[in-house]
Amino acid sequence: MLLELSEEHKEHLAFLPQVDSAGQGARGRRSVGWGGGPKAEPGTQQPLNFIAVVAEFGRIAVEFLRRGANPKIYEGAARKLNVSSDTVQHGVEGLTYLLTESSKLMISELDFQDSVFVLGFSEELNKLLLQLYLDNRKEIRTILSGLAPSLPSYHNLEWRLDVQLASRSLRQQIKPAVTIKLHLNQNGDHDTKVLQTDPATLLHLVQQLEQALEEMKTNHCRRVVRNIK
Amino acid sequence: MELSESVQKGFQMLADPGSFDSNAFTLLLRAAFQSLLDAQADEAVLDHPDLKHIDPVVLKYCHAAAATYILEAGKHRADKSTLSAYLEDCKFDRERTELFCTEYQNNKNSLETLLGSIGRSLPHITDVSWRLEYQIKTNQLHKMYRPAYLVTLNVQNTDSQSYPEISFSCSMEQLQDLVGKLKDASKSLERATQL
Repeated sequence: MLLELSEEHKEHLAFLPQVDSAGQGARGRRSVGWGGGPKAEPGTQQPLNFIAVVAEFGRIAVEFLRRGANPKIYEGAARKLNVSSDTVQHGVEGLTYLLTESSKLMISELDFQDSVFVLGFSEELNKLLLQLYLDNRKEIRTILSGLAPSLPSYHNLEWRLDVQLASRSLRQQIKPAVTIKLHLNQNGDHDTKVLQTDPATLLHLVQQLEQALEEMKTNHCRRVVRNIK
Repeated sequence: MELSESVQKGFQMLADPGSFDSNAFTLLLRAAFQSLLDAQADEAVLDHPDLKHIDPVVLKYCHAAAATYILEAGKHRADKSTLSAYLEDCKFDRERTELFCTEYQNNKNSLETLLGSIGRSLPHITDVSWRLEYQIKTNQLHKMYRPAYLVTLNVQNTDSQSYPEISFSCSMEQLQDLVGKLKDASKSLERATQL
């Protein structure tokens, strides 16, 4: 399956190969990447600059997915590459979109390469992008899975055995009960529910939930899992 | 057991064969138990033709006294000797004392169940339902292929009579963890009963 890239998207990404020539203009300056880097040798400066810059863009794109945009970085990059801050931002967003769409669809290496091919980048840039995709795919998918609609999910269960001995309305009782504290998570919020049950219901709960677990091992479920890929 | 004067006075009236003949006594006694224990008890429980000849005020007073005493006795799990002692103090003759004790014995279990069910407690789990699903895709993430469980606990609140539900999702490992912990609890319970 190939990625479909819109015209606007292609324009944004078109910034990337220009980093090459923009990098030439910036050769006079020291830094490779933002926040300083090793001092490059004059002879090897140009290709090193280019790979490092694109890699840096890749790193920014992944950070953007993890934590959101950071305008200061865009401005720093824009100054060093002698382009507008908007161009940098679009470049990062374009790269981010490329990575998330590829990760979401879980496209194969070949499909990725073919999709990127239409952008008309150099062989080297294509390889870089592919590597960026493969390296970050798993993490991006984990981030995306957190976006799905969700119910509170189970976190932990604490229990306690209690015996009620008396109450205001009846003395000399022996009434066993199990008190349960259920910890749930929803969108990062922790919620706890304190509940109670009697021994008979507890056994019933265990029996029912064990049946639920057994279901996964039945032929029907195994067949479904095997065949839907 | 602490009982007020009005209970004693009511019983003394009940003890008097002049105010309550044998039949009336039995009927009033049964009416007292019935109005406490029968969920659909008629408000006209005292409207029996054989009780018509007695002053309604007296009827109500004695009915209330009997009901109060029955509840107190049930609460403190009074035994036959305690009951007899009190009734004899109220000038009950042997026959009426025996009758009261027999009626009390017949209704003891229902009375204790009723009293035991009064009171506040934590929301009580009554049932569980589950659903197994296989997630294949969301709009943010394709090709997922992950089984998941959705578990719903039916819960009953004693005071508000409401039936909220607690639903949550979990993976297979989480469900195994949950079941493991519940099994620990039930094993502990079993061990505790053998002590």
